[in-house]
Amino acid sequence: MSAPVKVRYVNFPLQYEGVKNELLPAVQKILESGNYILGPELEKLEIDFANLCGTKYALGVANGTDALIMSMKALGIGRGDEVITVPNSFIASTASIVMNEAKPVFVDVREDYNINPELIESAITPKTKAIIPVHLTGRPADMKRIMEIARKHKLFVIEDCAQSVGAKFDGKAVGSFGNTGCFSLHPLKNLAAVGDGGFITTNDTELYVKLKKMRNHGLKNRDECEFFSFNSRLDNLQAGIISVKMKHLDKWTKRRREIADFYRKNLSGVVTMPEERKNDYAVYHTFVVQAENRDELQAHLLSKGIETKIHYPIPIHLQEAAKHLGYKKGSFPVTEEQTKHILSLPIYPELAQEQIELVVREIKNFYAR
Amino acid sequence: MKIKFSYLDEQFRNPEPILAEIKRLVESGDFTLGKPLQEFENSFAKLCGTKYAIGVGTGTDALRLSLIALGIKEGDEVITVPNSFYATAGAIATTGAKPVFVDVKNDYVIDVDLIENALTEKTKAIMPVHLYGKPANMPAIMKIAKENNLEVIEDACQGITAEVDGKTVGSFGAAGGFSVHPLKGINVWGDGGIITTNSEAIREKLLLLRNHGLKSRDECAVYGYNCRLDTLQAVVGNHIIKDVSRITEKRIGNAKYYDSELSKIEGIAIPPRKKNEKEVYHTYVIRAENRDGLLQHLIKNGIEAKVHYPIPLHLQEASKHLGYKKGDFPETEAQAKSIITLPAHQYLKDEEREYIVKKIKEFYK
Repeated sequence: MSAPVKVRYVNFPLQYEGVKNELLPAVQKILESGNYILGPELEKLEIDFANLCGTKYALGVANGTDALIMSMKALGIGRGDEVITVPNSFIASTASIVMNEAKPVFVDVREDYNINPELIESAITPKTKAIIPVHLTGRPADMKRIMEIARKHKLFVIEDCAQSVGAKFDGKAVGSFGNTGCFSLHPLKNLAAVGDGGFITTNDTELYVKLKKMRNHGLKNRDECEFFSFNSRLDNLQAGIISVKMKHLDKWTKRRREIADFYRKNLSGVVTMPEERKNDYAVYHTFVVQAENRDELQAHLLSKGIETKIHYPIPIHLQEAAKHLGYKKGSFPVTEEQTKHILSLPIYPELAQEQIELVVREIKNFYAR
Repeated sequence: MKIKFSYLDEQFRNPEPILAEIKRLVESGDFTLGKPLQEFENSFAKLCGTKYAIGVGTGTDALRLSLIALGIKEGDEVITVPNSFYATAGAIATTGAKPVFVDVKNDYVIDVDLIENALTEKTKAIMPVHLYGKPANMPAIMKIAKENNLEVIEDACQGITAEVDGKTVGSFGAAGGFSVHPLKGINVWGDGGIITTNSEAIREKLLLLRNHGLKSRDECAVYGYNCRLDTLQAVVGNHIIKDVSRITEKRIGNAKYYDSELSKIEGIAIPPRKKNEKEVYHTYVIRAENRDGLLQHLIKNGIEAKVHYPIPLHLQEASKHLGYKKGDFPETEAQAKSIITLPAHQYLKDEEREYIVKKIKEFYK
């Protein structure tokens, strides 16, 4: 079964090669300055990141999970409250709700893997305080409908943008629709630190001021503590690294979109892939297809040296951690059906054309057998 | 002469060995819970004489996750001191529990004779702080905890390798929370923390809590946080931990020098030093008459002296709802007005510390 790997699912060393001449001096400069906590590089990056998202503010935090946890806390969401989200995401979308002692309420998704807005209203109760749409795979959720529903029912919206930096819905960047947008800079992300990192974007000055204290022990200044709080800061060193990479993001995203286009054109009719909505700009953090005989296809590809992944094989409502929420198999048919068929193909800017062609060829070969 | 409190740029004078390893790590892509982190955890556990060490995001998180792993939650009370960094109370408060303060003695750490008075039915744990690198009276605290069936979580954020009776802090309680923040005895180049414990059950819980509650890539056993010590930072930690005894000896040497020189000055009070304890002088803190005047004088002369901390926790705005008032903790409050921190770090030169002593003598002349 084990063939020499020809197409890795991710390839950090290749990305590093592309930026190392800029990265190393930037790192060295920060290290020599001794500015490791809330330094000038972070301050600059926060301005650049806000510009990227078209928001007034961006705040560097320790990771994407903390971005979600703190957003909810700052909006006053806590025990007894309900927050609507999806069951097909990374576990952190849900865990961040539970960590605030609120109750996650799941709503099924559409064939584009994102929340089905038409199902949201029936999940709203008097306890509902917020909606957390996830822009899964780097594809924007239907923010127009979601914002309409949120306005109508006076709900907060916290966008889970962990996979979608740079994505746009109707020309507007994700993270700029809701009360806050929550981003991850985890090493696997399109814009990645060399460790954990995250961002919160917002247009709300009051919220920004609160979150800025919340991430730094609740401090107003060195000696005065307004409220007891967390320590959740984006390392200045990681901020410097992100600043270097951010200059390349647009180019990298375009390349991801080219690869997605190639897959879509060449795999049409072979596997199922959601089309890109006309006014969307998806950033393809992952390229997820739905395949018949998925497990066999995955094994076949691996035998040909092609690594793939499944995001995610067990939906959140069927995890052991969700037991107390009382969901069962069958609660979310679309998500559950997708779970059986989804497969993430390699997609990153450094992939060579012949590698993408190999992926396509081997998928076709599998079904031609 | 200009004497800075922070020495991080000095630490970076010979960056090549660490940079070379960072480069290797960046090329390998082993960024999350990678091999260098395991190595750091093993070395740190060894250093503290505990079975396990678990790297986490920050010292604050080290304390907070320890409390959570021990089941501390809303409705519970946790005893600690009002003279610490905000994170001590922050860690307790963010679990939903209530911090209950107990005053300190003239040696800056918790007054063990006052603990039992503060116990209620809701008390679940004691969080002694090894402030300034001075260990709390752990044998007495452990005895009280045992008698009253309480957990002990050591706030060892400032106490790396401090000892009582030859036993290292972080190895007494159910868990020890350490910070490896840039200004700490073992530091990394960003935020970082680590938890020590001898309990396998606590370790298992912490491993889940710090990494989304994941049993495997695809299976989530409990909801958890994302709170990991960056592998990149562990590379830095692995280098600096090798140096810890040299760093600590240098700090102790500086403190001894100050103790002997400054004890001659009327107006300066050196805290009592105990024979059975090893203090590591994360900060060197003495009490001074006309402290604000001395502080100004030193700063004017290029010496970055500081105050840790000018406003006690119980008098912070954040404590309002706890119902404390001025006068509740007389020793802490008196110290807040008189304490001053002198540079005592490992890069301090002999002529610099002599200069500092000279300037203090000059002030009290």
